[in-house]
Formats: sequence, structure tokens, C-alpha cells
Amino acid sequence: MPHVHVTDRSGEESAIDIRPGTTLMQAITDAGIADLLALCGGQCSCATCHVYIQDDALAELSPMEQDEDDLLACSSYRKANSRLACQLRLRDDHDGLRASIAPEDL
Amino acid sequence: MTAQTFKERDYFTDPTVLLDPYGYFEEMRPRGPVCQLETHDCLLISGFEECVEVLRNPADFSSLNSLASSAFPLPFKPEGSDISEQIEAHRDKYVGGDLVVTFDDAHHTNVRSLMSRMFTPSRLKANEVFMRDYAGELVRAAVAGGGCELVNQIATPYVTMVVADLLGVPAEDRTRFEEKIAAGQTVGSIENPDAPTDMSAVEFMGAYFYGYLEERMANPGTDLLSELATLPYPDGTKPDILELVGLAVFMFAAGQDTSAKLLGNSMRYIVDVPGLQQQLRDDRTLIPWLLEEVLRLEGSSKATHRIARRDTKIGDRPVPAGTQVIVALAAANRDPRRWGDDANEFKLKRPGIKQHIAFGRGSHTCAGAPLARAEVTAILNQFFDQTSDIRISAEKHGKPGARHYKFEPSFIIRGLENLYLELTP
Ligand code: HEM
Ligand code: FES
Repeated sequence: MPHVHVTDRSGEESAIDIRPGTTLMQAITDAGIADLLALCGGQCSCATCHVYIQDDALAELSPMEQDEDDLLACSSYRKANSRLACQLRLRDDHDGLRASIAPEDL
Repeated sequence: MTAQTFKERDYFTDPTVLLDPYGYFEEMRPRGPVCQLETHDCLLISGFEECVEVLRNPADFSSLNSLASSAFPLPFKPEGSDISEQIEAHRDKYVGGDLVVTFDDAHHTNVRSLMSRMFTPSRLKANEVFMRDYAGELVRAAVAGGGCELVNQIATPYVTMVVADLLGVPAEDRTRFEEKIAAGQTVGSIENPDAPTDMSAVEFMGAYFYGYLEERMANPGTDLLSELATLPYPDGTKPDILELVGLAVFMFAAGQDTSAKLLGNSMRYIVDVPGLQQQLRDDRTLIPWLLEEVLRLEGSSKATHRIARRDTKIGDRPVPAGTQVIVALAAANRDPRRWGDDANEFKLKRPGIKQHIAFGRGSHTCAGAPLARAEVTAILNQFFDQTSDIRISAEKHGKPGARHYKFEPSFIIRGLENLYLELTP
């Protein structure tokens, strides 16, 4: 099965199976990684699913919409490779993608 | 009080639990964050960590009973360590088994994806003018009359019209929906224990939504219904029209009682917590903090439910497949292990407040939460704009410190049946 690699806030990395059609947020939550709060459940409203995507994979992802951009703009930890995991729908060809969970905004 | 010295009250039917569910939860808490009920064959989960754990584990916990509740035995005998197939085979036996909140797995992921762009900040922004104008009208009429009954006279029509406007329901049909909803019984009614959740309003609205969706499929516009009618699932397939009807109707129904009660519950705190009204008038940016703390203390959904579909665990406790669990959101939101010794007190800007679970957590987290927050904020702003003082009627509810309120007779909904206000321009 294709999978993605996710690094949590303590630096621990897990390989997570991809079920195509689910979002990266859902894949991470379903894998039991508690760091990703995802408080709004994927409605693009909370920014608690903030992740950094390994640079070479960024271009393969669906482009960012205005709402996502605006939410990320409120984070103190935004970087060029920031995305909201709930806005990224996984496909088989995302196999091998690497992401790490951004620090928590207070 | 220890577990031996009191007789367990029935969460689902006892009117004293209804009046004060928090007292009941405190009574049960010494038995542990997860405990077996004596009155029903199910577990009560009152711990915050434990509730979150279950809500974030959809692989082991099915949502099929989330509306029907854990009060009824399973309609089959669970066999083996994985009963997922048995559960699916009995879906049609469940109230709401065809609504998104009860779906599991890929079916849920598909349908949920249709809602993922519906209540985004930009979408709500576009709706704000309607919210403000309509709220303004309702509040103006109430102020002119010197006061109002908030829950039925204002909150219910308001939230109904807001979601109707957002979805694109024609104005001429909106009042029909409103009347039908007003006539129906609340969900999870304890007054009708054999059929606590009445689906007739949902069926009534379904017929209308079928028509709208058919029309939008032929002539898509820019409203939410058009979006629903044309969006594919993430796997590229197209949803069946009946699936969409179910979803549209559910969004309509799910946001009614819950949001209306949030306004009622909020107003009660605004008036009854000393000094709070003035504090909010002076600084409106505190309104979102108020809402979160009210949601924590008096969330309008007291509980949701799950069925363990595989042999699993909550914390260290083994939970066999077939176990039904009450995920007591309202108990978790006052769990002193999570919130500290002042868990039962109202406190603005409580640390970590956004992590309360009044809207659930995990894959079924309330899709309409952003809307609920936006619409209640909009109408509270109108109340503050148009009045200099809001009081709760002492004649109807007693004096401050000795208030008496009536609550919706439901084991799901927590909220005032009515709230009489006096308004000074
Ligand atoms: C204060 C107001 C509200 C509260 C307290 C509330 C509470 C909840 C809760 C606790 C759930 C999760 C149930 C579970 O996990 O089993 C839920 C789900 C849901 N709510 Fe709300 N709700 C509110 C307002 C709304 C509004 C305004 C809408 C829509 C316009 C809405 C639409 C939904 C939908 C569609 C779901 C199902 C999501 C899914 O299954 O994926 N809710 N709500
Ligand atoms: S889960 Fe809230 S923005 Fe992604």
C-alpha cells in the first residue's frame, strides 16, 4: 500500500497507509497521532492541522485556496512549505510524501 | 457520596437528570472516566481524554447509533471480535441510519467531503450581511416591544433563515420549513421514550430539497445547493440525488435546535454572570471567548454515541465488539482532570478553551460549527448595538440567584425551552 511519512512534534516519524480520497489530516488522525488537533474537523476554519510538506512534494499538491492562505497567515509558525493537512486529498501517487506537524499556535 | 450509597438515575428518562445533567455526571464521575451503567447495557464515558480517544478512533467505533443513542439493545447478537459487517447489515433498523452523522468509513469520507467547503470563512463572510440585517430586524422588533421570548420568537426563526439563505432555499418556502420544525418534537425526547427522535420534519423537507436539487442539476447557479448538486466525490464518482437530499436536509435540521439553544444559553450567562454584560459591551472581541466558554459549560449537545465494532480498548480498559458507549460531551467538558478544580465555573479566556468537545472531535466533528459561531456572534452584536441593558424577566424566571428555567426535554439537546428578556433601548 502507498504511504506517507509523518513526523510528530517530538520528532518521531511514522509511515501511514494512504486510503485514496481521504485527506492528509484524516490519515494522520486515524493513525492515532494526537499532536494534530484538527479541531474543526477539516472545515478549513481552525488551522490546527498545520503541517510542513517536504519541499520536493509541494508542487504535486492541489494549489492553496484563499481561505487556507488566510488561516495560515494567522499562524506564528508559517513557512514557505506550510499547508493545512485537511485541505490535501491524498492520491496513490502521493506515495512517499513527507510531512511534519507544525508547532502549536496558542 | 460513594457508588454504593445512591441509586443510579436513568440518564435517558429521569426528569431530574434532564434538569441538571451536570449533577448526574458528577454523581457518576467517582465510578471512573469510563463506567458501566446499571440502568442500561452501555458504558458512560465522562472523562475528557477518554471521550477524545473514542471520537478519534472511528476504525474501532461505529457512529451508527449516534442519533438513536445507546439506550436500546443492538438489533442483533454480536458475533466475534469484528462486527463491522453485522452493523452495516442492520443499518436500516436505526433512526437516522441514512444520515451523514451515522455513516462510517469510505461512505462517510465521501459524503463529508461535500461539506468541507461549505462553511469556510469566505463563505460565511458572504453570508454575514444577511445575518446582520435579519438579526437586526428581529432585535429591533423585540426592543420596540420592550422585550421578547428569545428562544422561540427570535433564535429559532433566525437560525432557520440563516441556513436557508446559505443553502439557497427560496424565500417562499422558508416559512413552511419553519412551521414544520416548530411543530415537531425535539430530538431525543424523553417524553416519548419509544420513539424519542421524530423524523417527520426531515421527510417533509426532503421532498422540497429533491425538487431544488433536480432543478440545480439542470441549471446550476452559485448557491450551496448548486455546489452540492454538481460536486463529485473525491473518488470521482457522482453522488446519488437521494444522498444529497439527505445531506441537505440534515444540515438544515442539525443546525436548528443546537444553534438556537446556543443563543439562549449564551444570553443566560451574559445576564446572570455579574459584570459580564458590561464587559462584553465594552469589548466585543470578547464575544468569541464567551461562546467557547458557554459551549464548554452548556454545549447544546450533551452526548453522542458509538458502538465498538471491533474488540478494542478505551485507555487500558478492554471493550468488546458490540459495546455501546455514551460519549458524554457535556461531562468531558467539565472533567476536572482536564479543566482543573474550577471546571464548573464560568471563566472568560480559559486556557486551552478551544479544545472543548461541544462540537465533537475527529472525523464527525460538527460541520456547521463555524456557522453556529458566526450566526450567534452576529445576533449578539445586534442585541448589544440596539440596547443599553438586557435583563432576564424576574416575573417569568425568578430573581437573580434564584432563577428557575425550563429545559428542552431531551437526552441529546441541552438548552432552555424559553428565555424571557426585558430590553432597554
Ligand atoms: C451550537 C450549535 C451546534 C452544536 C453544539 C453541534 C454539535 C454537533 C456535534 C456534537 C456533532 C458530532 C456528532 C458525533 O460525533 O456523533 C455534530 C455533527 C454535525 N453537525 Fe452540528 N452542532 C451545532 C450546529 C450545527 C449547524 C449550524 C450545522 C449545519 C448547518 C450542523 C451540522 C452538523 C453536521 C452536518 C454534522 C455531522 C458531521 C459528520 O457526521 O461528519 N451543526 N454537531
Ligand atoms: S482541521 Fe481545521 S483547518 Fe484543517
